[in-house]
Amino acid sequence: MPKWAMAIDLDKCTGCGDCMAACKLENNVAIVDAEQAADDRVMLWMDMMTIYEGEYPNIKLKRIPKPCFHCDNPPCIKVCPVHATYKNEEGLVAQIYNRCIGCRYCMAACPYTAKVFNWYEPEWADEFKTCMNPDVSLRMKGVVEKCSFCAHRLQKVKENARADDREISDGEYSPACADSCPAEAIFFGDLENKESKVFKLSNSPRAFRELEDLGTIPKVFYLSEKE
Amino acid sequence: MNEETKNTVDIDEALYRPIYETGKSFYFAVGFLLFIIGFTLVVYIRQVYYGLGVTGMNQPVTWGFYIVNFVFFVGISHAGTLISAILRLSKAEWRRPITRMAEVITAIVLAIGGLHPIIDLGRPDRVLNIFTAGRLQSPLLWDVTSITAYFTASTVYLYLPMIPDIAKLRDRGGKMVWFYEFLSWGWHGTEHQKKVLSRAINILMVMVIPIAISVHTVISYIFSMTLQPGWHSTIFGPYFVVGAIFSGIAALMIVMISFRKYFHLENYLKLVHFRHLGTLLLIMSLLWFYFTFSEYLTGVFGAEPHEMDVIFYKFTGTYAIFFWGMVVCNFLIPVVILAFKKFKTIPGILIASISVVIGMWLERLNIVIPSLANPRMGLDMGMYTPSFTEWTLFIGGLAVFVLGFLVFSKFFPIISIWEIEEGRKESVKEVEKRVTSYLPDPANSVE
Amino acid sequence: MEIQRRDFLKLLGGASGAIALGLYGCRNSIDVPERLIELAKRGPGIESWKNTICGQCPAGCGVSVRMIDGIPVYIKGNPNYPVNRGGMCPSGHSALEMLFNPDRIKNPQKRIGVEGSRKWEKISWDNSLKIVSDKMKELRNSGLAHQVAFLNGNAQNGLMDKHFAQFMNAYGSPNYYSFPSIKNQTVPYNLLQGVEQIPAYDLLNAKYILSFGSNFLEEGYSPIYYTKIYSQLRDQSVERRTRLVQIDSRMSLTAANADRWVPIKPGTYAALALGVAYVLIREELYNKNFVQTSTFGFNDWTDSRGKSHIGFMKNVINNYYPEEVSKITGVPAETILQIARDLGNNKPSVVLGGQGAEDNTNGTFTQMAIYSLNALLGNIEKEGGVYFVDVPPLAELPSIVYDEAARSGLEKTKVAESNDYTYPLADFSFDAFTKNILNDKPYPVSVLFIYKGNPLFQTLNHHEFAEALKKIPLVVSFDSCINETSEYADLILPDHTSLEKWDAFSNVPSVGFTHVGIQQPVINPLYDTKNTADVILKLSSMIGQSVANALPFDTYEKEIRFSVEKLYTSGEGAIVTEGVKGAWLEYLQQRGWQIGRYNSFDEFWKLITENGGWWNPIRKQKKVEDLFKTSSGKFEFYSKNLEEAINNVVRKAGGESSENMKKVLQALNIHTEGDAVFLPHYEVVSIEENMPLYLVTYNLLTNRDGNSSNQPMMQELFGYTVHEHWNTWAEINPVTAKANGISDKNLIWVESPLGSIKVTARVNPGIMPGVVSVPFGMGHTSYGRYAKGIGSNPVSLMKNKYDKLNGIPALQATKVKISLAN
Ligand SMILES: Nc1nc2c(c(=O)[nH]1)N[C@H]1C(S)=C(S)[C@@H](COP(=O)(O)OP(=O)(O)OC[C@H]3O[C@@H](n4cnc5c(=O)[nH]c(N)nc54)[C@H](O)[C@@H]3O)O[C@H]1N2
Ligand SMILES: Nc1nc2c(c(=O)[nH]1)N[C@H]1C(S)=C(S)[C@@H](COP(=O)(O)OP(=O)(O)OC[C@H]3O[C@@H](n4cnc5c(=O)[nH]c(N)nc54)[C@H](O)[C@@H]3O)O[C@H]1N2
Ligand code: SF4
Ligand code: SF4
Ligand code: SF4
Ligand code: SF4
Ligand code: SF4
Ligand SMILES: [Mo]
Repeated sequence: MPKWAMAIDLDKCTGCGDCMAACKLENNVAIVDAEQAADDRVMLWMDMMTIYEGEYPNIKLKRIPKPCFHCDNPPCIKVCPVHATYKNEEGLVAQIYNRCIGCRYCMAACPYTAKVFNWYEPEWADEFKTCMNPDVSLRMKGVVEKCSFCAHRLQKVKENARADDREISDGEYSPACADSCPAEAIFFGDLENKESKVFKLSNSPRAFRELEDLGTIPKVFYLSEKE
Repeated sequence: MNEETKNTVDIDEALYRPIYETGKSFYFAVGFLLFIIGFTLVVYIRQVYYGLGVTGMNQPVTWGFYIVNFVFFVGISHAGTLISAILRLSKAEWRRPITRMAEVITAIVLAIGGLHPIIDLGRPDRVLNIFTAGRLQSPLLWDVTSITAYFTASTVYLYLPMIPDIAKLRDRGGKMVWFYEFLSWGWHGTEHQKKVLSRAINILMVMVIPIAISVHTVISYIFSMTLQPGWHSTIFGPYFVVGAIFSGIAALMIVMISFRKYFHLENYLKLVHFRHLGTLLLIMSLLWFYFTFSEYLTGVFGAEPHEMDVIFYKFTGTYAIFFWGMVVCNFLIPVVILAFKKFKTIPGILIASISVVIGMWLERLNIVIPSLANPRMGLDMGMYTPSFTEWTLFIGGLAVFVLGFLVFSKFFPIISIWEIEEGRKESVKEVEKRVTSYLPDPANSVE
Repeated sequence: MEIQRRDFLKLLGGASGAIALGLYGCRNSIDVPERLIELAKRGPGIESWKNTICGQCPAGCGVSVRMIDGIPVYIKGNPNYPVNRGGMCPSGHSALEMLFNPDRIKNPQKRIGVEGSRKWEKISWDNSLKIVSDKMKELRNSGLAHQVAFLNGNAQNGLMDKHFAQFMNAYGSPNYYSFPSIKNQTVPYNLLQGVEQIPAYDLLNAKYILSFGSNFLEEGYSPIYYTKIYSQLRDQSVERRTRLVQIDSRMSLTAANADRWVPIKPGTYAALALGVAYVLIREELYNKNFVQTSTFGFNDWTDSRGKSHIGFMKNVINNYYPEEVSKITGVPAETILQIARDLGNNKPSVVLGGQGAEDNTNGTFTQMAIYSLNALLGNIEKEGGVYFVDVPPLAELPSIVYDEAARSGLEKTKVAESNDYTYPLADFSFDAFTKNILNDKPYPVSVLFIYKGNPLFQTLNHHEFAEALKKIPLVVSFDSCINETSEYADLILPDHTSLEKWDAFSNVPSVGFTHVGIQQPVINPLYDTKNTADVILKLSSMIGQSVANALPFDTYEKEIRFSVEKLYTSGEGAIVTEGVKGAWLEYLQQRGWQIGRYNSFDEFWKLITENGGWWNPIRKQKKVEDLFKTSSGKFEFYSKNLEEAINNVVRKAGGESSENMKKVLQALNIHTEGDAVFLPHYEVVSIEENMPLYLVTYNLLTNRDGNSSNQPMMQELFGYTVHEHWNTWAEINPVTAKANGISDKNLIWVESPLGSIKVTARVNPGIMPGVVSVPFGMGHTSYGRYAKGIGSNPVSLMKNKYDKLNGIPALQATKVKISLAN
């Protein structure tokens, strides 16, 4: 079974925020209006953490893009009462929007606050409805959603590989954020494939994971000299 | 008073009075409460229609009043069945005028509390997924199970000891005899029936204690089974149970004092009852403080950074006022009032009880919100302000509670008449015998 | 193209089928939103990709648009396009929200209410064009062709600029302007080196980068181009890594990624740059060889009349010793020493100046001071230094045969010419333009075209400009949405958005190679709009033969083909294909770059449109005279060009006298005297306001100059860096916050003598005390449902102040105070 993982090189990442926009566009993530945003209900599958270190003027500022970490031992799925969030056979932590009862327990349980909730029915102007990505289903009010590692792209890549009767090659399955990142800071691939870039990066001395002591085993690695 | 009832006047007539005398104020109160409840219903339907956006919840504070009130109400429900069961089990004779009220609280409040998680759902239309797709590993499902069990057990436990009283009401005739006839299950007070009833009560009373404890333990698990700072704690189970009993006793006393005043039950609910319960409240307050102290001391000592964030937020942050308010309400006020006989009067006890109920509500708030408001990483500190909808549903919940009591007291005696009678007839002798049995045997029998 | 045809056909069958089935399956459930079913009804879509140029901002990134059944659904960077090599910025992704924007203008509109009344009436293209051409003909026939003016807001590096210029020339008006003018921004390079271009920086080969407020990763002319380079720099091993030092008053995105951030008092870059020069000179760390052979005015010198002048060195040594500079800039003397030593000892090292330095009353001199460091280091046209790229071999438009009307019109003075001593070096001064229109000087403006710009939102004197617009009888706006400016137009002739139209972009400023990007429609126009370039073609044919002859094309697409054909015939460069990456590129370079791979122009055209553009990474070997086009043929520390220009003004002021000189210098906001005036030097910023804090504005990657505000996704992401969404905020240092009794997330007033805005305070240490920074881009009073009334516009706080030499608005010359709002 493959183990899809992401590595984000913080030494390269500038914090430009493009991954956030690419993700919203690719995944039909609802656009939250001004009023809702003021109530802290923005919908970002890829969020951005901002950390200041040091005393003025010797400040270090790090911006860290934060998707769902697709934990190997995800605290979020353990609490779901209805099996609406689960780890699928590809090791991706997925959401079943049609089953979710909206208890938001998984959100409370995720140590990384990676999930977002549809507080209202997502609305788009009619014109914008035309340009939705047809590969990604739309969500309805009252359900939880989060970064899917662009699982729909895996679907396509798998079909492609099957049609050609071959294995998926490294880098073939690449989520929208990794695809667009102008700093080429996001790497994606299979940890089980020892030849993959991600596997190598995950073993780099620069690699670390967030809150590793919690035992969640995130599948998103960060790389940083400074850590 | 009409003919029939006059005939059957007995010494506990005061206890029947609320059933037969219905003042204007009663209808006014019921009307008012129904209005609030109706309004609440409209507000809730609006919430279902628009989505949870109408609440003040947000990212990262994904739980708010509904979960706070859920924990709070379910906590209050421990007033009841648990306390009454413990008192019965320990054969505390002073329990007699109290148990009924306690049990009623449980049944009503548990129903209200149990609804809260559903109110809180983003997709209440899919609530049945819990049964069709339920995952037993989820603490939420444990909750559903234990609350259902507790609700069943405590309604039965409320009902059984009511049967003799219902029979009395039936026998007195008057309105709705058919109703009492139906509910009294052919009770005629035969020895056999008495024996069966007392056995049934005894079994239930033993059963209900672990169920009740399990309920609040499991509720605490909702939090402590996560890894979140401020939640991930092993003492949460007993801590929640203690808190529940604590708030339960306080709520019970508030109810007792209200009924005593409005139905002139001074003869039944005497200062001594309140003093006993007050002492119990004092003990719980100390126990609560002990748990709170250990909970925070270990947190502060461990000094895990994220844990500290939450603790600091509680001590000094936006929530400081609620945190210290909780300490004052749950500890300072009740201890000062209840430790001194001078203050341990009915008004004093009422103040202490109200203070504890508020304090325990604050405690629930302090558990739910600060942990969520301080995400470990990524987001800024969260802020939660309950919306109009949430306040309305809170007030609606309270209205259901009051209405429940009013309606109950319209149909059933809120003090168990037969138990009082029984007490008069038998327990003096029985207690004497019991006390004698505690005492050392007469000296002359020692060889 | 990423996905090959064979692939996508296969996956389409699979994926779309699966989705359709899935949807069918959930139909019973009440939860499937209607629109999803609608989507499914579209049936299995055919996926295709098309390459074009982004067009959300002037940075000119290449993009690939994913389409399902011809409807664009996703945009990503074109991996083969050399500017951005697959990268994008957030705004680029929201181009779809521009295309499908519900507030687009769907057909030509004629205003029926008063200016700004938002009352419009639909009008046909024929009628509207007739109104315009009749008016233009009438003016031309009465010898008033010069009374037509054209403001081009955002197409300076495109063919569009030439197209408009050609039209205006042939028509006979000297009043064609690009604003903000890139030419204004090239003034410092022109003064020092005689080059009218923005330099490119070879960061990849530099060992040490010193940036004076050039926020090249976030703003800058092409942030994604530089982000790519930055990313490559970070591939170096730690020990040998290029160090980046960012000097800025706030921690910009570039500063956050720099190895070191040096906070500095706003407006004082020049002093710091010269302080650094002081150390380089004193410690002999500068490139003596270059300075001796290729520069003028470093040492003291004597002119032909025997008058002796002081040189750069003496001026610096006398005035910019570190302690003094430290006092001016607030940068500790040790830091200055350290920066200078690092700069001198880690060659090649390069020095960048950004617009932050330029957008001030002292901008020209500041940029000169910064750029002169590159000369001291001998960086010019060197590996790891600065250079100027070659112009692509595009065909020139046909030369114009001027008729009498055109000739007489073109002889007239420009409306934007200042009629006092100011703006002697400006290509276009918005200030003078506005004032002159208001005063009918030198003549009234009868028709004004505005293309892709929004001066009523962007410019410092927008209240004045609104009045000016009211005075002009016919204002024609070519915009895609109604914005603050088009509300004052008489006619709106709606333009296509970037995804619907043809255009060609060449040489984005500061990008390090020659290139041409082809923008092409990925979708048929959604509404009854026209490419403004085609409208101009139409107008030229309606106005008359002589104008039509200057633009002998049926369509703008043909004009682009015509221009591009010369790329093919020149045999230079190559179409952007996979080859732009890594090993391939080296291989090509070794072989002397591939030439003439294409059999015919048709094939060339097909490939260039399919792939998105053309480029030539090989620079021509430059001769010295091409490098330094100054009168001395050298890099001029002492700018004779400037001397000449100022003397010209003095002459205009009534002859050369020290009296007149004083008068002129005062008008130009120059407080220095003597030779120092013509040397890079530090001018005190003219901020007379008695306010405690400096206001620093900047642009975010989520909002390009304010024009992404009508895109809800960008509004939501707007302040992702600080978690502010749909909101303007002000960053302040904790020290400033405390002094003003403000804490994080409080609402505050930022107040200048001109007005005040209410914003959210964000307190963090990433800004120096005494400075308030407010991002630019929000606070629209028009521009559609997503923009109007959201956030605040810091421009409303700014006085009408400019660099009096080159006319660049002094966006950083405002002082403010802050207070809690409630
Ligand atoms: N994201 C984004 N990119 C853009 C644009 C956009 O709107 N958005 N617009 C494009 C256009 S039209 C242009 S002209 C270019 C301009 O881009 P640049 O040439 O890079 O200039 P700016 O970045 O505007 O300069 C502003 C920076 O200078 C800093 N600064 C301002 N005043 C001072 C000062 O007195 N001292 C110091 N030390 N620092 C100061 C500010 O903090 C800010 O970071 O950008 C282009 N790129
Ligand atoms: N405070 C402050 N003020 C500034 C700046 C700053 O940094 N701070 N920056 C200054 C600088 S450097 C600049 S360049 C200016 C920018 O000044 P402008 O060029 O006026 O700025 P934009 O907001 O880009 O305006 C572009 C307009 O073009 C329209 N538009 C977008 N796409 C299309 C299209 O495809 N076709 C047509 N026809 N129209 C389109 C949009 O509706 C928008 O209103 O602002 C200046 N003002
Ligand atoms: S797109 Fe890349 S560089 Fe930009 S924030 Fe995301 S990871 Fe960082
Ligand atoms: S990051 Fe959070 S949501 Fe994602 S898998 Fe881990 S626990 Fe679940
Ligand atoms: S919100 Fe949905 S996914 Fe999350 S725990 Fe509840 S039912 Fe499961
Ligand atoms: S992997 Fe896909 S879903 Fe996750 S953040 Fe990146 S683009 Fe979004
Ligand atoms: S920088 Fe962004 S907006 Fe500008 S052209 Fe590139 S992708 Fe488009
Ligand atoms: Mo600009």
